[in-house]
Amino acid sequence: MFKKLIDNAAAKSPWLFHINAGSCNGCDIELVAVLTPRYDAERLGFKLAGTPRHADIVVVSGPVTVQSKDRVLRTIEQVPDPKVIVTLGSCPRSCNVFKGSYSVAGPLDKYVPIDVSIAGCAPKPEAIIDGLALAAKILKEKREAMK
Amino acid sequence: MEFTDILIYAVYILIFPGALFTCLFGLWLAGVDRKVVARMQKRKGPPISQPAWDFLKLCGKETVIPAHAARGVYLAAPYIGLASLIVTVLFIPLGGLQAFSTGADTVVILYLLTIPTLAMIFGGSASGSPFAGVGASRTMVSIMAYELPFILVILAVGKGMTPDGYYFTFSLEQITNVQSVFGPNIFDWRLLPAAVAMLLVIPCEVGQHPFDVGEAETEICEGPLVEYSGKPLAVFKLSHAIKMFVMTALFCALFLGGITTGMLWLDVVLALCFCTAVTLVSMTLLNAISARWRVEQLFKFFWTVVSGLALASLLLVWFC
Repeated sequence: MFKKLIDNAAAKSPWLFHINAGSCNGCDIELVAVLTPRYDAERLGFKLAGTPRHADIVVVSGPVTVQSKDRVLRTIEQVPDPKVIVTLGSCPRSCNVFKGSYSVAGPLDKYVPIDVSIAGCAPKPEAIIDGLALAAKILKEKREAMK
Repeated sequence: MEFTDILIYAVYILIFPGALFTCLFGLWLAGVDRKVVARMQKRKGPPISQPAWDFLKLCGKETVIPAHAARGVYLAAPYIGLASLIVTVLFIPLGGLQAFSTGADTVVILYLLTIPTLAMIFGGSASGSPFAGVGASRTMVSIMAYELPFILVILAVGKGMTPDGYYFTFSLEQITNVQSVFGPNIFDWRLLPAAVAMLLVIPCEVGQHPFDVGEAETEICEGPLVEYSGKPLAVFKLSHAIKMFVMTALFCALFLGGITTGMLWLDVVLALCFCTAVTLVSMTLLNAISARWRVEQLFKFFWTVVSGLALASLLLVWFC
């Protein structure tokens, strides 16, 4: 009985941790817009966590620069299971206009499996909410698969 | 002790007003707080059941124990804090229903209420994270800040109850009895500054927004909670919700007690309504309209303005 309740809870209170892996700040602003009164992602239970230990969903923006690569991977490792990795914008998937630069170590899927990609440069808040809702659903599936 | 007595105490401790009810009502209060804050900011806000979902979700997460942590203290701290909060509830009369009564309830409550905060400090220090260290020291500062006005308020209420003769009590039962004769303390003009001081002590003790220097998530990654995950974190979040209930119930016992309708269950429901109202006035309102204070601002405010209000009340009940 409790297992089912806890499984359902996984989809209803996903906490986000946002990592900026060399992003231009465009996607970061759009993510903040999602939490403002106009879009209010908190009504779906989304909340920005202060530390990776509290997070369920890791949101990565930016093309993963050489400087940030180790930090991003280490932060993702610190998130307790079940966790979902979401890429925000085009950069983490394709490196976007930064592709080929000497300082870019991306894309992110060279290092960790990605569950949801939100496309756009920068993505619209509606797209971000859609992607995060999908991530919450995946989170529940991962929780059900645990144990 | 008769068997029925043991049964009644078991119900008091485990179901009402002990563990089960306290947890549920605390989570409900936290949900109402989040919803009303959202409405005040023109948001739709999470459902009222959101803190309960958060708690259940955290129960289902992996518990990570850092390599540098002192394992025993790290894992025991949240449960000790929760247990002492539930014990505190048993000493607070809820519309005349008080599970345990001693001659010095308020002193017992004063001591029991420091344990959850101390548990947080110990747990945070045991995690070995520098963020937790900073958070623990900040939490200590906030304890020192609110304890002084809190004690002054309790002294003022204990002293100021009877107009005839010198009378002084630490017993919440007596405080409630006197209020049922002379009317709630909040209508006593001499105790009004103390009531205001208490309304400001509540958010600081709970760790709500303008006074949450110890758990500042944007500065020091939630302070003592930085390394916690899974069930221990769930218990800390639950303790936070229960603290809201404990502090508002204490306010109701000190200032809004003794309102009787003749039926016990109606009195209890009335007391719970008062608890919700006090939550909205003292915590939600401040939470929605203010930004976090710096540590020294908090300390200065509590030792001058809030302590001043409480001291004014104490002097008034002594000399008027």
